[in-house]
Amino acid sequence: MSAGWIVGLADAAAADVATVGGKGAGLHRLVALGARVPAGFVVTTDAFRAALDTVAAQVEAPLQALGPDAPIDAVERAAAQARARLLRTASAGPVLEEVRAAYDDLAGGIARVAVRSSAVGEDAAGASFAGEHDTFLEIRGRDAVADAVCRCWASLYTARAVSYREHAGAGPAGAMAVVVQEMVPARAAGVFMTLNPANGDRSTVVCEAVWGLGEPLVSGAVTPDRFVVDKVSGEVVRREIADKPRQLVRGEMPGTAEVDVSAERRGRPCLDDAELAELLDLARRVERDAGVPQDGEFAVAEPGGPARVHLLQTRPETVWSTRAPRAATNGSGARTALSAVLATLTRGAAATSTTPEGTPDHGG
Amino acid sequence: MAADRFPSPFDIETPPGAEGWESMYDWYHLFGSERRELDEGRFWFADRLHHPDVLHPYDEIQCECWWQALGAFNTRIFAMPPAFGVDQRIVNGRLYVTPVAAPAEDVAARAEEFGKRAGHYYERWDAIYTEWKEKVTAKLEEIRALRFEPLPDLEPESTVFDHTGHSAGFRMIRDFDRLVLTMYETYQYHFELLNIGYAAYLTFFAMCRQAFPDISDQSISRMVGGLRVELYRPDDELKRLAKEAQRLGLVERLSGTEDAATLFAALRQDAAGAEWVADWERTADPWFLINTDPGHPGGYHTYPTWADQPDIPLASVREYLRRLTDGESIDRPTDEVLAERDRITAGYRELLADDDRATFDDTVALARQVFAFIEEHVLYIEHWMWATFWAKSHELSRALAAMGEIDEPEDMFFLRRYEVAEAIYDCVAAWSVGSRPRGADHLRPLIARRREIYTALRAWEPPPALGPPPTQIDEPFTVMLWGITTASVSEWLRADGDDGTLRGTAGSPGVVEGPVRVVTHPSELPDVQPGDVLVCPATSPAWAPVFARTAATVSDVGGIMSHTAIVCREYGMPAVVGTGNAVATLRTGQRVRVDGDTGVVTVL
Repeated sequence: MSAGWIVGLADAAAADVATVGGKGAGLHRLVALGARVPAGFVVTTDAFRAALDTVAAQVEAPLQALGPDAPIDAVERAAAQARARLLRTASAGPVLEEVRAAYDDLAGGIARVAVRSSAVGEDAAGASFAGEHDTFLEIRGRDAVADAVCRCWASLYTARAVSYREHAGAGPAGAMAVVVQEMVPARAAGVFMTLNPANGDRSTVVCEAVWGLGEPLVSGAVTPDRFVVDKVSGEVVRREIADKPRQLVRGEMPGTAEVDVSAERRGRPCLDDAELAELLDLARRVERDAGVPQDGEFAVAEPGGPARVHLLQTRPETVWSTRAPRAATNGSGARTALSAVLATLTRGAAATSTTPEGTPDHGG
Repeated sequence: MAADRFPSPFDIETPPGAEGWESMYDWYHLFGSERRELDEGRFWFADRLHHPDVLHPYDEIQCECWWQALGAFNTRIFAMPPAFGVDQRIVNGRLYVTPVAAPAEDVAARAEEFGKRAGHYYERWDAIYTEWKEKVTAKLEEIRALRFEPLPDLEPESTVFDHTGHSAGFRMIRDFDRLVLTMYETYQYHFELLNIGYAAYLTFFAMCRQAFPDISDQSISRMVGGLRVELYRPDDELKRLAKEAQRLGLVERLSGTEDAATLFAALRQDAAGAEWVADWERTADPWFLINTDPGHPGGYHTYPTWADQPDIPLASVREYLRRLTDGESIDRPTDEVLAERDRITAGYRELLADDDRATFDDTVALARQVFAFIEEHVLYIEHWMWATFWAKSHELSRALAAMGEIDEPEDMFFLRRYEVAEAIYDCVAAWSVGSRPRGADHLRPLIARRREIYTALRAWEPPPALGPPPTQIDEPFTVMLWGITTASVSEWLRADGDDGTLRGTAGSPGVVEGPVRVVTHPSELPDVQPGDVLVCPATSPAWAPVFARTAATVSDVGGIMSHTAIVCREYGMPAVVGTGNAVATLRTGQRVRVDGDTGVVTVL
């Protein structure tokens, strides 16, 4: 047993981004805030390095051999070789034994878990690395979990990840942490932002959600319900309810399954007011703690208690949070109530909202 | 079929039986061929907010008061930059209005004047408002002191021994002029503060929407409202009387259904009951001087006040007593509303850009100052002044009937105010000379004909608007006060959009379902059952107590600053206002869903 390979989300060590990656550190912060976060642990970057210690040079060799302007199919081939070498050489050894043991400690070794990459530099403000590394859902059993951890590591070496790092100037693969968390058997799930990405309104939390697991929403495969909630008054100021014919759920076997939504449920809102209120409260706390607008993912467990919204991750919103809040005085330079009155009266239309400059997207 | 314009005012036909209706109103209040070119190009909408029903000739005074005063203060006194006054015309007995814009090239120069002039008021608002209350109260006392009585056979000795030097007949002529002029004067004060107040209030709305495009109107008004304004005092007095009844052990005796006169007579039989009735009577002046018109209080001479018809406030006291007996709290949660107001104000303020916060603070402070006036002026003018004006008018009409100048008191209201002055002179001259007035004989056929016309006009359903609609309705007062927007006007044009839904303005949030109760006259208020959806032309603060019973309110007219919307927000009850035609469309007993979040009413 080597200290520092496995770190619980609540452990102080999980505050260190270099050890647990961006996602892991974000989850630690949520746990420290008292938010409801699925139980789990992080396989640290130290574990990654220990596992690859003797084999790293061998794994990366095919990529090192590539020239700076290598054609895409050559990158593909080299990346595939690197992954194969990694999976072959890293799957044995003491590090993965510790992963198996940590999984056994989590809900007696029968839990279904999500295994997600948490690379250093991922999920930081300014670069989302959204979807560039792999995630494995509904994994059960100690060997399956160890295998998924290995595959996460290997996803450092997909062609797209290699290209993305190249493009982002992020350099060689570095080290990757992996988060292993219990799956929330989600009745509904989605994403939220602590501002309205359509107009930069910081008084709202915008939330999109679907029935079942949130992955189809994050990947853009389905049209979600959309709710705009006022951060201050708590009112739901807008609801756009989508037709949601399919959902991703926990499969009979480990893994997920896409199934039909019953006719009477597909057109119904997938979040109720109590759930929205709980999400709003969490979103506000997260934003206040971080000091900048946030976006994040959440899942709503099956009914069973009043509090059932779980946060799966949060991170700084990357577009609007770098700008100043919208001006209340619309550039009129009004400094007193009288000058504001004059600005309003001479503008003609009272209180028409302006067209936003640019419409940043969610960034998954 | 959607048309692109409303009928021309010059193509409106006279309803059968109403021929000659024009003689009931002042000639300058009518469409006429001389102004055709101007008037046909304008967009006129029916002012059902202030005048939902056919105007009696005498009641035209009501329209004239605000026509002139609003116009003068906007156009000539404060130089409201974008807006002149609101022009008026009467068609088939209904009032149509059109806001007049200031010429675009004048706006900058007007803004400079407005800054000086309105700025003077904003800086001294509270002091000016204190003076204002004194001015208006003095006017109220002036008209309360007027007495209209049948002229005496012989003047009292005091006329001689006090050297009064003039006759009771002269005083009747003089006092009618005073009554009308004092009402006019009060309307100057009404608009001395109202539109610059609204301008400040609107500015706060505009500022919030600019910073927070998604913010709801309700959130903005909650940052400003919740004050302990005197407008709630009448309702608070009813609550106090309910508590007094409980303290005096009268719960049982008040729980019946007998009318106020019978009940009060019975209560006077013992000490506790007599104490309560005496309390009621003390409270009634001035707190029950509350007009019960749907819409703009005091708009017509025909609606009683609470004091005239104590059954209305009594029904509310009984309702409060029932809730007290059930252990409910009947107090308005003013402290909670204020705490919530401060909490959300701080919440939005925190989200602003740093250099906007000082302007926000200054503007919200001004908006709160003006809001107290916006609420309270209704009590001083729409209730106290108009109730007294109509009461004195009724007193005059009784005196004229007693003297045989007209056959019955109500006849006077079928005369225009200038004709009333003529009738008074006729009456006084004959009295003075000891001769016979031409009066009733001359007026009888005229009044009889006007009564027929009035009935024929009431059967006419006025189109919501006349003339070509502007492409964009953004005149701030039209939007805020009348609730008329580009969208609502296109909805009117769609006319027969009969898909079982009505659209209006989301006046107060929440969604409920319930049976419709159409109420067009306050005498129908006692019919309202707990859980009913109140459907009305508009509500008046006088109706506030009924809100304790209703599940939601739907009104034909009004915007987010209408009384319906304000009171419903206070009571935490959904409201859809400014639907245009809910009263004509919905039937008592139908089940509807009222969505106060989106402003939609759906027939289920």
